[in-house]
Amino acid sequence: MNAVLSGNVLLDEFGSGDARARDESWRYSKPALRALAQQEFIAADTQATLSAELRERYEWAHTQGHRAVFVNGAFSTVHSDLSEIGKAIAIRHEQPNLCVLTISADLAAPLHLVYLSIPSPAPSRWQASIEVHLYAGKAHLIEQHLGEAGADVLGALTSTTQVSAHAELQLTTLCDLPDSVSLYRRIQATVENGATLRTTHALLGGRLQRHDLNIELAGMQARYESRGVFVLRGRQHVDTHLDVRHIARDTNCDIVWRGVADQRARGVFHGAITVAEGADGADAKLSNKNLLLSALAEIDTQPVLEIYADEVKAAHGATVGQLDERALFYMRSRGIPVDEARRLLVAAFCDVALDRVPQAVLREHISTLLAPRLAGTGA
Amino acid sequence: MLKIENLHVRVAGKEILKGLSLSANAGEVHAIMGPNGAGKSTLGNVLAGREGYEVTQGSVVYNGKNLLELEPEQRAAEGVFLAFQYPVEIPGVNNTYFLRAALNAQRKVRGEAELDSMQFLKRVREKLAVLHLKDELLHRAVNEGFSGGEKKRNEIFQMALLEPRLAILDETDSGLDIDAMKLVADGVNAMRSPDRAFLVVTHYQRLLDYIVPDFVHVLADGRIVESGDASLARKLEEHGYAWVAERFVPGQISAGAA
Repeated sequence: MNAVLSGNVLLDEFGSGDARARDESWRYSKPALRALAQQEFIAADTQATLSAELRERYEWAHTQGHRAVFVNGAFSTVHSDLSEIGKAIAIRHEQPNLCVLTISADLAAPLHLVYLSIPSPAPSRWQASIEVHLYAGKAHLIEQHLGEAGADVLGALTSTTQVSAHAELQLTTLCDLPDSVSLYRRIQATVENGATLRTTHALLGGRLQRHDLNIELAGMQARYESRGVFVLRGRQHVDTHLDVRHIARDTNCDIVWRGVADQRARGVFHGAITVAEGADGADAKLSNKNLLLSALAEIDTQPVLEIYADEVKAAHGATVGQLDERALFYMRSRGIPVDEARRLLVAAFCDVALDRVPQAVLREHISTLLAPRLAGTGA
Repeated sequence: MLKIENLHVRVAGKEILKGLSLSANAGEVHAIMGPNGAGKSTLGNVLAGREGYEVTQGSVVYNGKNLLELEPEQRAAEGVFLAFQYPVEIPGVNNTYFLRAALNAQRKVRGEAELDSMQFLKRVREKLAVLHLKDELLHRAVNEGFSGGEKKRNEIFQMALLEPRLAILDETDSGLDIDAMKLVADGVNAMRSPDRAFLVVTHYQRLLDYIVPDFVHVLADGRIVESGDASLARKLEEHGYAWVAERFVPGQISAGAA
């Protein structure tokens, strides 16, 4: 188990090694990938000790009794607290690092999934999978990724998600990673008749974060709402790839993502919407706006629409710009200090993508996470 | 209160103000009139501290301080207020939050206690009534989706709330119908006081029927070329700016300014 593996081999397993690096879908992240591919990784320690500071960051009062904690990809009975999850949900751990969630009725409270990347003395790796089956009712999953600074960690979490007819799944993903942690996250979701999938992503930090969201609107009137924001600085790199496929008739997707990059950070947003032949009545909306707070930051955005059906409504827009200097001056002329004015403008910019987070306490948490990163250094 | 001497300002490499001098004391209302392109808006922007306006010569002293050295937010805290000709829309920033942040930031610099939301709302309600602005505007984002008239009234409302000592109104009358103009004028007149000065920049004399100035200055080609009392505004209305241009001898004024 503790074999040393090269980053190249690992990335290949995630579908992202050399062969895929040539792939268009990684074109903006090649240098970051190449650096990872050249490193060697030992298996991460799944029994690693957690610091009190780290535990404090996820031990929220409002998710107590509904929390599953994974240390370097492995479920931790010691740190999890599932005492109040009730009968609507079943959690099974199959094979090493495969977790299967089945939900069969409304969940009274969100299920909080915590993924921790804890460094070993040498660069280390972890890999985990999760299967989510929502058979009926409404459920909210909060997926939180945290880590401790130290030697590099490369984590990979892949999931398959099924939202059955007329069910509603909200997935809120919060990634707040130290600059030594890289994360590959792939979601493969199928949304059936009249079902709704909502995802909200707040992505902060990390050396390289890659999020692949492959969503299939397989049943009639299936709906997907996607919200996301990344706020980056230093040399952080976040690459997000949405691939939404309208397969059935009268399906609907609504995508709103915002990106902010400061210093030398790099952001990538790729939003592909495909409307298959016969998927008439599809309605697809995509808006992606990005803000550069420094001349050295870079964000690449690429909306792609492919339509093979006849009666389709589709709208997409993508922009990369700078802070509105007129607005900044207007605020300062009223007495608001320049840093606060910047923070207010960037917060307002990001807020648009956080409107679907269902719980006020969670929205508050996200705002608190974002707040110190919004002023920008202008470096 | 305000002493501008021989002010030269370049914008994008072009000299716009060419030796402007003007003094205003507390309690006075000065109207600044002039044709398009004379530099009226440049004056307002320079006084408020907008970037991109390069002062190449001259000085601006405000309450004994070199105004040009201060950041825009410091000027605001010192009591300088610019009512924008084109108020900026700020999507996503709530109007109430914005106003309270502004007021409290100013109070903090001045060493005054910050207002809590109850105290703040009380003050807001008083000022809203004067300008006949709807409460609902407070819940919207700053200027977002406001009509032209609402934006201008919102500027005067902000002025009323922030209680500046030097208020500069940059063509606040442009785009207003007569009723809205009266509301704006009422708002300004209600604020006239012995410890406050106004610079009212306008293209037309009409606003000055409602806000009667103590002094009228004609700004042409980057300088004040004529000053007088309120009757000067009416003469201008009668004769047009060409009349001033004819009377204005360029050589003399630049020699005097240099």
